[in-house]
Amino acid sequence: MTGLLDLKDIEVRENNGYRLKDIQLSINVGEKIALLGRSGAGKSTLIAVANGSLKPNSGKVSWRGIELKFLNNRQRNEIGTLWQDLRLVEELTVSQNINIGALAKKNFLWAFYNLLGTIKTKECLTCLQAVGLDNVFLTTPVQELSGGQRQRVAIARLLMQQAELLLADEPLSNLDPTLVDEVLKLFLNKRSIDPINIPKTCLISLHRPDLITNFTRVVGLKRGRIIFDCQVAELTPLEINSLYKDR
Amino acid sequence: MRQFKLSSPILTILPALALIPVLGVVLAGMHNGGLFILFEFFSASIHPSLDPAVIHSAWRGLQITIATALLSWVISTFVGVLLGLISSSIFWQVFGFSTRIAIVLRRLLAIPRSIHELIWGLLLLQLLGLSPWVAIFSICIPYSCLVARVLTDQIDNLDHKALIAIRNSGVNHISTLITALLPPIIPVINSYGGYRLECALRGATLLGVFGMGGIGTELQLTLQSLEFKEMWTSLWMLGVVMISLEAGLSWWRKDSFLTKQSERQLLISMAIMLAAIVISFLWLQALDVNIFSNFQWHPIPLPTLVEIINAFSELPWINLITSTIVMTIFAAGIAIGIPPLGMMLWPTKLGTTLQSAVWSFLRLVPAPLSALLLLLCTSPSISVAALALGLQNLGVMGRLLKEGINQQNDNLYAAIHSSGSGKRLAWLYGHLSPQSKSYLAYAAYRTDVLLRETVVVGVVGGFGLGWQLQESLSSFNWAQVVLVATSFSILTLIGESISEDVRHHLLKSIKREQNPSLQN
Repeated sequence: MTGLLDLKDIEVRENNGYRLKDIQLSINVGEKIALLGRSGAGKSTLIAVANGSLKPNSGKVSWRGIELKFLNNRQRNEIGTLWQDLRLVEELTVSQNINIGALAKKNFLWAFYNLLGTIKTKECLTCLQAVGLDNVFLTTPVQELSGGQRQRVAIARLLMQQAELLLADEPLSNLDPTLVDEVLKLFLNKRSIDPINIPKTCLISLHRPDLITNFTRVVGLKRGRIIFDCQVAELTPLEINSLYKDR
Repeated sequence: MRQFKLSSPILTILPALALIPVLGVVLAGMHNGGLFILFEFFSASIHPSLDPAVIHSAWRGLQITIATALLSWVISTFVGVLLGLISSSIFWQVFGFSTRIAIVLRRLLAIPRSIHELIWGLLLLQLLGLSPWVAIFSICIPYSCLVARVLTDQIDNLDHKALIAIRNSGVNHISTLITALLPPIIPVINSYGGYRLECALRGATLLGVFGMGGIGTELQLTLQSLEFKEMWTSLWMLGVVMISLEAGLSWWRKDSFLTKQSERQLLISMAIMLAAIVISFLWLQALDVNIFSNFQWHPIPLPTLVEIINAFSELPWINLITSTIVMTIFAAGIAIGIPPLGMMLWPTKLGTTLQSAVWSFLRLVPAPLSALLLLLCTSPSISVAALALGLQNLGVMGRLLKEGINQQNDNLYAAIHSSGSGKRLAWLYGHLSPQSKSYLAYAAYRTDVLLRETVVVGVVGGFGLGWQLQESLSSFNWAQVVLVATSFSILTLIGESISEDVRHHLLKSIKREQNPSLQN
């Protein structure tokens, strides 16, 4: 049976070693998956392979049974990514960056129109409020924001995309503790923000193992290999500890 | 034993030595009436002709030049942006094609870019006859390719992570390029585009000197008939326009509140381009320059291989290429070395102001006119051509050096001066030293421009490839025309490659100085 997103026999090589090796991962509708691992374990690489921005040396990634390279723009838009380095367009304002999330559903004239001013759609304002930013920020260039504020804009852009699957690379790293809770609730569908559809399925890489209780499934990655993939309830502290040990 | 290594501040001044042999030859060839002619020319500047007919004629010529420059600028910027986009690697990457296409396009665009607008003008004059489009196309062809080159470099040096992220989320190709590329390149287009407008105005004036209409033609005719007062009427009018344009563009780049936000920049740039194209068309029509007339195509017979081989053996290649290179070296020495030397010898406020005024004047007079003026006083030689070319570019280099020094703080100068050093030495160590490497990096680029411009003074001075091209065109020897244009193109491409290497080396060393951690 195929899942929503399937990664089969994935290998990503680097110099003489591997960044990912023998990855088998199937993400099904409605699953909330936490991706754990030390820095350099391959979490970001796995997410980059999953969203198609990095082509693996071998293996296949498919979305609803179709290989990623054959997806059309509408299908690509169903996979939303929150990048670790955020990837905002620095020269644009907050509202213009958030509207980029809706760009795939619009034509190029709208893309041009977005550059000419501030388009305040209901969706844009909702996304902004959902991440705890005030409306006054709408016209602020993102390069004038702090690290945490920029992260919120990137999350708002992702919400605006209204994807089916959410892939997030360390989305909580720059947020203050109160906002971590709020954002996690959003990502895990414990909070709704009408009229925005929040992805029901997600794969989120985390640097804090204490947060996994909010998820349904946990994948542990060590030196490019999956060393466990189980339900949260089945996971033992020993297994978590083994991720962060040298051997 | 002491090892000599020339430091960068000295390297900025040493090229001024080129002035000694050049002036030696020019002064040795000076005839009795030469000094009188020069005196007549400069004294006419104080009392230019105020005859209404002269003013009307100069004003009409000036308007034609401005409108031609404006139209050429808009077209070349628009075409240049498109060419720049399609010659960038990321453009083809977004569409899923090989980036080799971008490399091939960049190499192809290097050819029209390497040929000076005057050569294009002379060639197009043969093809289209006397048409206002000759000047416009002559400017547009190399300028579009120059804009494309600058833009391609900028685009390929951008961080493309945001673009990849946008494309990856299913946004179509065009919307991705609009959203991720337009905002960072608009400020570049605004800033560089402004500089190109200045160049277009100079280019249109220069083409006029060679009979393509406008203020350049007025200047050339009045100089040839030794009507210096009338010439100064045109020069003053042109000067006012040039200085206003320089001031306006400098305000636009630095202080304009209009350019702070990217959406405003985009809207204003679009509005300016649109307005410029409409205004220039209507303006030229109002001046009875029939811009909408049909082209009259005069086809040129393509030379056969035998004709090309014969032409190759007929031309004195060593002499042509050597004189072009020698002209470039001496002109570059004068242009690069004189401004820092002058400012060091006279670093006071009065001295700097007077030197700035001289530089403005030198930028104003097209190099072929300076050459013609010098030829009225002295016998023809490579030195005359090098001096004329060097003087005009000296004006450009001087302005650049002054701007650079004005932007840095006075702390170093004050520290050296307060320790008992004289003003001149304090200026050398406190002002010139920090600027010297970036000045030399720009000088490398300027030398490349000078090589291209040798064709201009060559045509009037009777030297180098420029003169040979004019001769071959006059005798309709198309095989020679093809060979000379090709060799000029190859020579400028080699010069461009050398100057780029020097510039990169210098800029890299500036970066290392600013960030010592990069040294390892």
